[in-house]
Amino acid sequence: MKALEFKQIFSFPLFGYTVVVTETVVVSWLAMALIIIVSLCMVRRLAWKPSGPQALLETAVGFLNKFSKDQFGGRSKYLGHYIGSLFLFLFVSNVLPVFSPVAVFGREPSFIIKPPARDINVTAALAIISIVLVLVCGLRAKGLKGWLRHLAYPVPMMIPLNILEYGVRPLSLCLRLFGNILGAFILMHLIEELVPIGVPMIFSLYFDFIDGLIQAAVFAFLSTLYIAEAMEV
Amino acid sequence: MELMTAIGAGIAVISGIGAGVGIGIATSGTAQAISRQPEASGKILPMFFLGVALAESTAIYGLVISILLIFSK
Repeated sequence: MKALEFKQIFSFPLFGYTVVVTETVVVSWLAMALIIIVSLCMVRRLAWKPSGPQALLETAVGFLNKFSKDQFGGRSKYLGHYIGSLFLFLFVSNVLPVFSPVAVFGREPSFIIKPPARDINVTAALAIISIVLVLVCGLRAKGLKGWLRHLAYPVPMMIPLNILEYGVRPLSLCLRLFGNILGAFILMHLIEELVPIGVPMIFSLYFDFIDGLIQAAVFAFLSTLYIAEAMEV
Repeated sequence: MELMTAIGAGIAVISGIGAGVGIGIATSGTAQAISRQPEASGKILPMFFLGVALAESTAIYGLVISILLIFSK
């Protein structure tokens, strides 16, 4: 299948190695630029009495602040930002492929926007960030001694299982997002090849919008749960 | 070789059975909970979606393995 390949946009040499920039990276940059531009536009003229987009923005930020305060308690200021940006990036990058052109009557479009989470490197990187945050927050909240004691928490026999948890959690986070987005991408591609006009719109409602939203929310929520559990003393 | 990969991919997708049973149980629990307390549906539904996404992950692992089997030669 041609659409499953990772096209190389450009590459440049760095310290004797060749850094390859694939289309995954370019679409991630596109998503980041979209988020930054929309955020800057929305906070440009803040009024004392919120109206229009500002009311929406204040509701979203208030919800995030309350959610992270409930989950993280004292350290909510930094961790809430991480969870919020993780969710925003995943949601925007999952929904972005809606704007990609389709091949109609055998005419190939000049470019196709593919979801970055279709690349396992992206989801693996996000999962590694989350598990490093879990480790760091656990160490800072419990101290080295308390953290070592939590490894042998109910009985010392549980030590290998507790250590295994730090490998299984990022693996399952990474594979869940990757498999969902890749499966939806392949299905949408097959539908678009079969019936290019009309029908993909209906399926895109589920496979792009609802699935993208749910997977972004699940990734952010599970990261929240893991971090909050690691910080419990 | 082609035949064996196809059979392997088919076997890997059998993991969807577990996800189907799990999502069915979760849906029945949600329906019971909402019919008993309709005013709590706003709190039940996010938990339902989270549980469904978690139960779905085993099926997704099978899907990933079958996709890898078919497309990575």
